[in-house]
Amino acid sequence: MSNLKLSEVRKSFGSLEVIKGVDLDIESGEFVVFVGPSGCGKSTLLRMIAGLEDITVGELHIGDVQMNDVDPSKRGIAMVFQSYALYPHMTVRQNMGFALKFGGMGKADVAKQVQDAADILGLDELLDRKPATLSGGQRQRVAIGRAIVRHPDVFLFDEPLSNLDAELRVHMRVELARLHKQLATTIIYVTHDQVEAMTLADKIVVLRDGIVEQFGKPLELYDDPDNKFVAGFIGSPKMNFLNAVILKVSATSCNLKLIDFNEVSFDLPVNGDGLAVGAQVSIGIRPEHFTQNADVEFSLTVDLLEHLGGQSFIYARSDGNETLVLETQDGRNIKNGDRINVGFDKKLALLFDANDMRVR
Amino acid sequence: MMKKLSLKLNFADFFTYVFLTFMAFLSIFPFIWMVIGATNNTTDIAKGKASFGDQFLINVAKFFEQVDVPLIFWNSSKITIISCFFTLGIASMAGYGFEVFRSKPRERLYTIVLLTLMIPFAALMIPLFISIAKVGLINTHAAIILPGLASAFIIFYFRQSTKAFPGELRDAAKVDGLKEWQIFIYIYLPVMKSTYAAAFIIVFMASWNNYLWPLIVLQSNELKTITLVISSLASAYYPDYGVVMVGTIMATLPTLAIFFIMQRQFVQGMLGAVK
Ligand SMILES: Nc1ncnc2c1ncn2[C@@H]1O[C@H](COP(=O)(O)OP(=O)(O)O)[C@@H](O)[C@H]1O
Ligand SMILES: [Mg+2]
Repeated sequence: MSNLKLSEVRKSFGSLEVIKGVDLDIESGEFVVFVGPSGCGKSTLLRMIAGLEDITVGELHIGDVQMNDVDPSKRGIAMVFQSYALYPHMTVRQNMGFALKFGGMGKADVAKQVQDAADILGLDELLDRKPATLSGGQRQRVAIGRAIVRHPDVFLFDEPLSNLDAELRVHMRVELARLHKQLATTIIYVTHDQVEAMTLADKIVVLRDGIVEQFGKPLELYDDPDNKFVAGFIGSPKMNFLNAVILKVSATSCNLKLIDFNEVSFDLPVNGDGLAVGAQVSIGIRPEHFTQNADVEFSLTVDLLEHLGGQSFIYARSDGNETLVLETQDGRNIKNGDRINVGFDKKLALLFDANDMRVR
Repeated sequence: MMKKLSLKLNFADFFTYVFLTFMAFLSIFPFIWMVIGATNNTTDIAKGKASFGDQFLINVAKFFEQVDVPLIFWNSSKITIISCFFTLGIASMAGYGFEVFRSKPRERLYTIVLLTLMIPFAALMIPLFISIAKVGLINTHAAIILPGLASAFIIFYFRQSTKAFPGELRDAAKVDGLKEWQIFIYIYLPVMKSTYAAAFIIVFMASWNNYLWPLIVLQSNELKTITLVISSLASAYYPDYGVVMVGTIMATLPTLAIFFIMQRQFVQGMLGAVK
């Protein structure tokens, strides 16, 4: 168990900068998820922590040790790869014991460690099989087992569930959460799936283009995002963004008008000092935050309905032709083409300025 | 359902089979001719007799009489085994290196390596002979082994096969504490063993059957390889074709044996080593 600290970390491949100055302080025992769109640098950052990529600029500390130039095997980390990367010529037992044996541990000790890990993961029956004869889920488990036997200070996972089918993915997600409780080790986990991030993480790091957009607890990111990117990335269906224009500002409020929604105007209780009158802004509303009899109301035409049983998603259009997604618990009687009156409470609306930054 | 499908031969399939049978016959015919020839005496062979005769044991006895069989097998084996060992070693390291540690200059070097494939051996023969003569290796086995060691084709083959060797396997090995050379020995080598098997068969056959170059650089009889000796039997003033055929069969046996033993690995290696 160890805390982990990245200070002003950068990475360039040739002239292409991929990680553009990342600062992170991860506490011992935390389950931290790196999430972001494909190509944003999640894997690169993880591989820098593992020692598989050099750190161009900046420092990495694990525990109190500066790890920039330490060999991957001596950083106290273990990694689970997206493709599992099991050695195909070795049995499960050999795969799991390989690092220990290679590190000079005695035969009996290796066997005991492997047995312990196999017990935790239910791998007992598979120990003498080769990876090629295992299913995806079993390989996944072996890959985790191979990491566990090393008793690392920090586990690194790179999209470990992305090769599994949906059902198995949910199952393994629960198992990973259980495993984290059991081992209480620091985990850094990379995924592009925000549901995985929300369900597993103690803290989420949202990355975009090599920059940390926000670092915080899942619900903090959901309720109180720092910018439009985080607001749009976390949550499914996505947050709705309604274009608006500023009419009047003060230090405690901001008066604005929705452009494509019947020109409704209203006040938001935010500090409007940085905003100019006439500036284009956007209002973020989560699908479940639309209600009837709310502070701000407008009417919409229903385009499409998705009934999931417990809830329904309504895809609706304003008179200005903006589409919105609404979530409701009692949408069973609504039909395509219906006119509906909806709105939102001002305290649930988030304001983003022209640069997509949050105005609080 | 399945049975019906597999039994139903359509027109196109029929011609495919006829064509394949014909081609198979074409390629196996010289082999049959060789076996039949080994059982007949030289006059019958010259007459074109196409049935088995009763001269086999006599031909074998004559062959052992005229030729120092253990010596030529020893010479050929020694050259072939050393060639295989070093060619596979060098080419696999080179192919792995080119594929895994990529850089612009290396790609350029690789292109040059590939370009050498386009130069026919006939054009290289004289400069090669002069080089070998300059270093004083004419009439040694080293003269045969050395020029083949860095085989552009085998390097190419290993590089292509290495494309299927997953990068994450290397990463996993690094996290497990292996150095680059250990990754090569403990992970790459066993994982790629069918690629090695296929390359081994290719190099083995090329080296075992090598004729032209040994003919040029070897002069002493006690250094000659099996192909040279058989050819000298065939080009004698009164060649005994029955004996020549026995020699040919003996020369073919090791290749056949190796192919049969390693057939599965060979096919797998050709299809790609990593599943
Ligand atoms: N070895 C490399 N050489 C050059 N560019 C790379 C290399 N590895 C990754 N990149 C680039 O860095 C960016 C981030 O990649 P990656 O970290 O794999 O993204 P993610 O895991 O978030 O999908 C991508 O644009 C990718 O093309
Ligand atoms: Mg990735």
